[in-house]
Formats: sequence, structure tokens, C-alpha cells
Amino acid sequence: MSLSPEPEGSVYDVGYRAYEGVRLGRLQAILALYVTSFLGVFGIGRHTSSKILPFALATIALIPAVVQLGVVAASETIDFTIISPDDYYEFIQWPLALFVAAVAPELVGRDQRNHTLPLYFSRPLLRSDYILAKMAALSTALLAMALVPQAAIFVGNAMAHSDALDYFRENWRDIAPIIASGAMLSVFWSAVALAIGSQTDRWPLASGGIIAYFAVGWIVGSVLVNNAADGPFRYSLLVSGFHVVRAFTLWTFGVTPQPLPTNGDTTLAGDLALADVSLYVYTLAAAVTIAVALFTVHLRYRRMAL
Amino acid sequence: MCSMAFLATHALTKRYSSVTALDALDLELSPGVIGLVGANGAGKSTLIKILLGLLKPTSGSAQLLGFDVTRQEIDLRQYVGYMPEHDCLPTDVSATEFVALMARMSGLPRSAARERTADTLRHVGLFEERYREMGGYSMGMKQRVKLAQALVHDPRVLLLDEPTNGLDPEARDEMLDLVRRTGQEFGMAIIMASHLLTEIERVCNYLVVIDAGRLVRSAPIASFTERTQVLVVEVEGDGSALVRRLHEEGLTVRQEDGRILVGLDDDRTYDFIRDGIAELGLGLLRLEQGRQTLEDLFRTPKTDGNDVALA
Repeated sequence: MSLSPEPEGSVYDVGYRAYEGVRLGRLQAILALYVTSFLGVFGIGRHTSSKILPFALATIALIPAVVQLGVVAASETIDFTIISPDDYYEFIQWPLALFVAAVAPELVGRDQRNHTLPLYFSRPLLRSDYILAKMAALSTALLAMALVPQAAIFVGNAMAHSDALDYFRENWRDIAPIIASGAMLSVFWSAVALAIGSQTDRWPLASGGIIAYFAVGWIVGSVLVNNAADGPFRYSLLVSGFHVVRAFTLWTFGVTPQPLPTNGDTTLAGDLALADVSLYVYTLAAAVTIAVALFTVHLRYRRMAL
Repeated sequence: MCSMAFLATHALTKRYSSVTALDALDLELSPGVIGLVGANGAGKSTLIKILLGLLKPTSGSAQLLGFDVTRQEIDLRQYVGYMPEHDCLPTDVSATEFVALMARMSGLPRSAARERTADTLRHVGLFEERYREMGGYSMGMKQRVKLAQALVHDPRVLLLDEPTNGLDPEARDEMLDLVRRTGQEFGMAIIMASHLLTEIERVCNYLVVIDAGRLVRSAPIASFTERTQVLVVEVEGDGSALVRRLHEEGLTVRQEDGRILVGLDDDRTYDFIRDGIAELGLGLLRLEQGRQTLEDLFRTPKTDGNDVALA
């Protein structure tokens, strides 16, 4: 029997090894934070309980599209439209608003609550890069929520149509306004939600604040315009997140809002018709609101002690 | 490589509204395992945060690894690992997911990040538990993850702020051993802040002492440890007679809180203490090599009575 020169089956520590590979720097840092944040918005990579609310709201946002497609499928011979693309975002504004109210506070709040920010900012990442990654994550998540049902309707309508290509030829002009208004909605509401959500690490407070922003602007603007549309109050819709997006959507589709025939119900379009402010003014209002909101987020992170 | 110092600060100053955390600090250090010692509030954390670019200095400048910390922060931070003093881990993700994210955020490609995450977590001693959510981790495990995320991208310098914060004695020993191995066996430059000199002694080979934002001393650890050779004696009976006697023998002696601290010059010191106690008829309760804290070493010596300053 011969002795082996080294003991067999020894436990050894491979130890610490140096890394000689590439370092991709700042862009990689932003990209990594963006991807993780985007998935985190939908609760992917987190608890099951974190997935429930975002996916429930995404499903609700799809319901009008399903109804439209159901009607189209049932009414085989005629082309029947109950929900047009320029109306869709108004139908799903509350699911979308509740979505940002639900996810924006956690998107930025948990990093504050867990004191993770010093770890992020000791890496090749500026504070403005952090804001960019979070803003991009929330906006693209919201954009997906808004565009998926619109795409479903467009494709569904085309398939139900006697000639899909024909449908496309007649309706392709809707695609640009659908995307433009969806993108504007996403950036606008995300910026506002982050401005409110980044102020505190307590999500009930932040979520309540975001819901209040939508609800108060909507109700107050609508009441003021319906009761005193002649005076300076007609500009009150400029601070309502719902009305501004509605105005921009109509503007991109080239639709002039019409006052409602009866004075019972109010719709966003009805309010806009009563206020009678040129639609491009709402675009300016949106740009100003986005700028103010992002500057608020910037100040919040610039002043934060780490 | 340029011949610039590993770490250099020039008149580095940080003022808060009412407090001066760093007061015109000048430092020039070579790579090594550097202990940064000072009482709480001495400016250790402030210095580390300025080196990371987390804080902007009020005036003065600092270079780490040859990068200016305010102007080249992005380049610098690819090569720096930071372990903060306080809790900084999310509770609802696993160590593996979190450390891999931190690796990618340091600039590593995805596959390298995954591979190094596994290696680094093994290096710090986290095994099966690395797939569990970190909310359920013990303090010791959390500190290991904090060290792992600082190491995962193979930085050229590791900045550790009180790495044994909140650990029980056993976990503290393990953490210090881990830091010592990382610095001495794997040759990584480390700057470790602590308010406990004994910890620094075990891990570091160079010591920087700051107090009230000013540099007190900066020297190899050996030049300090000579001065920290202190015996702690506790006796039953009148200790001051023993203090007088040892003083007459020419030893450096100080009495405080019922303990007698004797400077250890050579082995004869033990003989003097033994003989003194025997002849005075005192009961010896304790005789051990002093575990000095900074407070012992840098305290302003009292000069009244029989107290004689050490060091």
C-alpha cells in the first residue's frame, strides 16, 4: 500500500479571489437599479403579497378592453365600438392612479426605511442617477399598464374586422396618439407620485398623499368649473392630474371636447369643454408639473443626510 | 501607476452648523490595514463618508487611490467597498439577491456578479442561509452580509465603519478574524474605524488616531503597542501602599477605580508586584495584561496624589 502524497478529501478554503474582469461603471449601476426596481414594482423577486395589488390593478385596467373585445366578438357582422382609444385612459384612470399610489411609496420608501441608500451612493451612482432609475422604473411600469389594454383592443378589433389590413389602414393614425398620451400620463403621474412618495418612508402616509392629489384635484376642479366656468376658476383644471392627462389625450387625437347635453353626469371631457381653455395650455401645465415634481425629488435626495 | 499616496488629505475640514467634525486634517498614508481610532464623535465616520463622496467637505481636499474624492467620485467608487456602521440591509430579500445586485451596481456584468456573490458569501461564512430572507438573520449574519456586499466587486480599498457594532463577543471575534484575514492574507487595503483599540490591535498594522476632528497620531501599530503594555492589578486591602512602593522601584504606576495600572517594562515588573504584595500582606485578586481602550491611552493624566501618568 502506498501513501498518497496529499491527504485525500481534504476540506479546503478556496478563499478570496481577485476580480480581473471588466468594470462597466455608472451605466451598469443605473441599469441594475432600473431592472430591479421595475421588477420590484410588480412585486417580482419579493413576497407573494407584494404581487397581489399591482397585478389586481393591472387586471382591472384590462377589464374595459375585455368588454370591448367581447362586444366586438358578439356582434359579428357590424364593427361596433363602445370604447374608443381616446376614451380608454379615462376609463382606467383610477386603477392607474391607485397603482402608482400603491407602488411608488415602496419603490423609494423601502430604501430609506432600510437605510440602503448609503450602500447605493457609495457605488458609481449619482443621486440623480438613482432618481432617474426609479423614475424610469415607475414610468415604464405604468406605461405597460396603460398600453397593454390599448394594444389588446387594437389587435382584437383588427382580428374581428372583416379585413384586418383594412382595419389597420383605417386606424393606424391612432397609434401615435395612443403611445404619446400613454407616455405623457406615465411620466406625469410617476413624477408626482415620486415627489410625494419620497418625502416619507411610511407608505400609508405616502399612498394617502398620492390618492389625495388625484382625488382633490379632480373633485375641486370639476366642482369649480361646473359652478363658475366664466371666471378665473376655469383654470382650476390645470392642477388636476386626471383633467390634464385627459386634455392632452384629446389634443393628441385632435378631438375637441364637447359639453354634455344634460347637466346630470360630469365627465372629464365635459369639464374641459365647460372650462374652455385651449388644450395646449394643459400640455404646458403638465410640463410645469413634471418639472416641479422632479425638482422636489431632487431636493429631497440632495438634502438627505446619509 | 502614479506614485501618489494611497490616501492623502489636505486641510480637510467638515463643519456642521454647530459642530466641527473634521478640523484641517492632514493625512498621508500608504496602503495597509489601517485602524482609524477615536472616541465616538471624533470624526471617524465623517472622514470615511467624505472619502466615499457621501459627504462634501466644507473645505480642503482628499485623494483616495489617487482619485480626488469630490471630483472623481464615480471613478473612485468602482474600486471602493464600504461597510456602514448601522443597519443597511433590506429585510425582504435574500443575501444572494442583495449582494448580487450590489455587485452589478458596482459595475460588474451579471454573470460575474452571480459568481462572485457565491464566492464572497462563502468567504464571509454564509452558506445555506444565504437563500433566506435577511429579515430573519442574526446580528452576526447581517454583519457578514454587510462585509460581503463591500467585498463582492473586489475593491482596492475596504472602508469599514465599526464592523463589530452590536455583535456579541464570539461573533465579534469571528468578524475581526475575517477582517484580519481579508487584509493580511488577501492583501486588501483596509481602513477600519473603531473606538476600541483592542480591536484595532488585533487586525491592523497601522494606526491613525483622531480626536475632535484633529490628527493625534499616525504611526505603525508597533509603536503604539509598546506603550500599551500595561498590567492591571487588583488587590484586597490598601492599594495605595503598593502604588507608592512600585513607584519607588521606578515603575510607571497609576491607580484608578480600585485598579492599579502598572507599565510593563520587562519581566522583572512581575517580580516587583509579587514581592510588593507579599511584603505588604495584601490579597491579590487579579493580575493580567491590560486590555487598553483608547480612553486609557489618551486620557489627560491626573497628576495629583499617587497617580502617575502612563505613556
